Amino acid sequence: MHDEHDRTRPPRGSMALAGRGVTAAIGGYAAAAAGCALAARILPLPRVEATLWAMLASFPVYAALALWAFHTRSPGRAMALVWGLAAACTAALFLLGVRP
Amino acid sequence: MRTPSFRQSMARIHGWMGLIAGWILFAMFLTGTASYFRPEITRWMQPEVRATPATPPVAAGSAFAYLQRTAPQAARWTLYLPDQRTIATRVFVRDGDVVKAKPRAKRPPRREVRLDPVQGTPLHARDTRGGEHFYRFHFQLQLPHPWGRWLAGACAMCMLGAILSGVITHKRIFVDFFTLRWGKGQRSWLDAHNVSAVVALPFHAMITYTGLVTLMVMYMPWPIVANYAKPALFASEAVGAAPEAPRSGTPAPLTPVAPLVATATRAWDGSPPAQIVVTNPNDANARITLFRTATDRLSARGGAITFSGVDGHTIASSPPPGPAARTAAVLLGLHLGWFADTGLRWIYFLLGASGAAMVGTGLVLWSRKRVEARSGVWGQRLVERLNVAVIACLPAGMAAYLLANRLLPADLPGRADLEVAAMFYTWFGLALLGCLRPAWRAWRESFAIAGTAWAAMPVVNALTTDRGLPHALAAGDRLFASFDLACLALAALLFFAARKTGKARRTVSASPTRRAEAQNALAHAG
Repeated sequence: MHDEHDRTRPPRGSMALAGRGVTAAIGGYAAAAAGCALAARILPLPRVEATLWAMLASFPVYAALALWAFHTRSPGRAMALVWGLAAACTAALFLLGVRP
Repeated sequence: MRTPSFRQSMARIHGWMGLIAGWILFAMFLTGTASYFRPEITRWMQPEVRATPATPPVAAGSAFAYLQRTAPQAARWTLYLPDQRTIATRVFVRDGDVVKAKPRAKRPPRREVRLDPVQGTPLHARDTRGGEHFYRFHFQLQLPHPWGRWLAGACAMCMLGAILSGVITHKRIFVDFFTLRWGKGQRSWLDAHNVSAVVALPFHAMITYTGLVTLMVMYMPWPIVANYAKPALFASEAVGAAPEAPRSGTPAPLTPVAPLVATATRAWDGSPPAQIVVTNPNDANARITLFRTATDRLSARGGAITFSGVDGHTIASSPPPGPAARTAAVLLGLHLGWFADTGLRWIYFLLGASGAAMVGTGLVLWSRKRVEARSGVWGQRLVERLNVAVIACLPAGMAAYLLANRLLPADLPGRADLEVAAMFYTWFGLALLGCLRPAWRAWRESFAIAGTAWAAMPVVNALTTDRGLPHALAAGDRLFASFDLACLALAALLFFAARKTGKARRTVSASPTRRAEAQNALAHAG
């Protein structure tokens, strides 16, 4: 049940695994942080409430993104989607600016 | 290469995430579990203190008198009033300016004093960090700020990922609730891991998530950055304290605190304040903020009232919190367990211990699975050594911390730091010594040493204080009696572990068929 990864996998596979690892750990955080910050910024709630809901949601979101990045079929797809989400949300946040 | 199924990929992640974070998580679980008795451990570590309990107005008044004598021009006083579980009033003094000139400016460290709640004089007791040490280690890992908290957060995140992937991996969650096969090598470790994980799964998931929530302002500040040009404003909106003002420079005498405590207690339907923060005492801009106790409700944030420190009028009262603020406060309360009475506190303790058991058995399982298949790879040896070092040697280190408290002279200078050093020297020293022995012997001997150290606790306590077990039982000293009995129970558990680990290894090495089976299983895995 608790399998280790296949030891006969060629080096190319371990590069892909490293890519997934970085995407899951760092990209997942970036995407969760940017996504939840954007949600906090645009949720039509008092700002303290919107901020708190977003912070509370960020940890399950991060965990889900990280697990998905490990699971999804191709490492390229995982990287593109996770980092893309982080970049898109960050760009939106810069365009919107701090809540007035 | 065929694409792994969802369950297979989750199982793989579960194993690696658990391994990477496991050792630190085990230490966090163990010291965090001990921290449910933080005030009790502090009281046990200062056996000479027998102060009479004081009501909140009396404790606040006596502490104010002490602070007026010793630090009238401080930037901030922070007072923690005693409750049913604590004896002393804890006072922190911060010098310098409340509002920092530059955001990154370094401030002088704050000083801590523990006071007799009635007299308002420093407690005459041995210097010790008490239960605070385990509590701080639990999320700061004895590393410089902020690295310890970041590392703890990263491990907690791995734990959250491991719980989610573990649940997905696990197809027979109900059956495994009742399955524990002893003496079958790897199979037993898997059963033990499953039983400890499944029985207390809701608790483990809750404690991991709420642990992240306790420090979420540090771990996930980005929603604040998106909504607040001045992040300090978020803190005051979320906690309900008025923003702090700089010192005006105009002297003004400080108003008495007892009437403010009475006013706040009335406003809170009889719940007293637990914490009082005074900024700019004896200045025209003085403010006194009272925070409601959290021991009588699930939520850890009861609200706050800020008074003028000059004439005592109410400046601000925290508005009723919204749904998100209430949710966050309840999550915080669930983690801290301040609301729990003695019975529930013991349940917290047992569930926390089950968390340590789950992480520990998971770590052993990881290495056992590979050792049974093929030994000699250095990575596996390292994992097994680290398992011994953390699972068997940390309990010995924790015992050494408590034993040092009794064995070091009460008036020795720097003894509080020596107690902490005793824990780490014992822990790491024992781990290094274990490397000289075959692994299964290191397991057994380290567990036996840890068990002996815990069993010695009641003896040493009886010899060095007048509050030993027979006396404590006769005098109805429930805290000291429970502490000694808990030490004996822990010792029994550790001796049991010593017996089991020694035995399991010998049966395994005696069975070539099982090794073949294990090799077969690993070859087909992944």
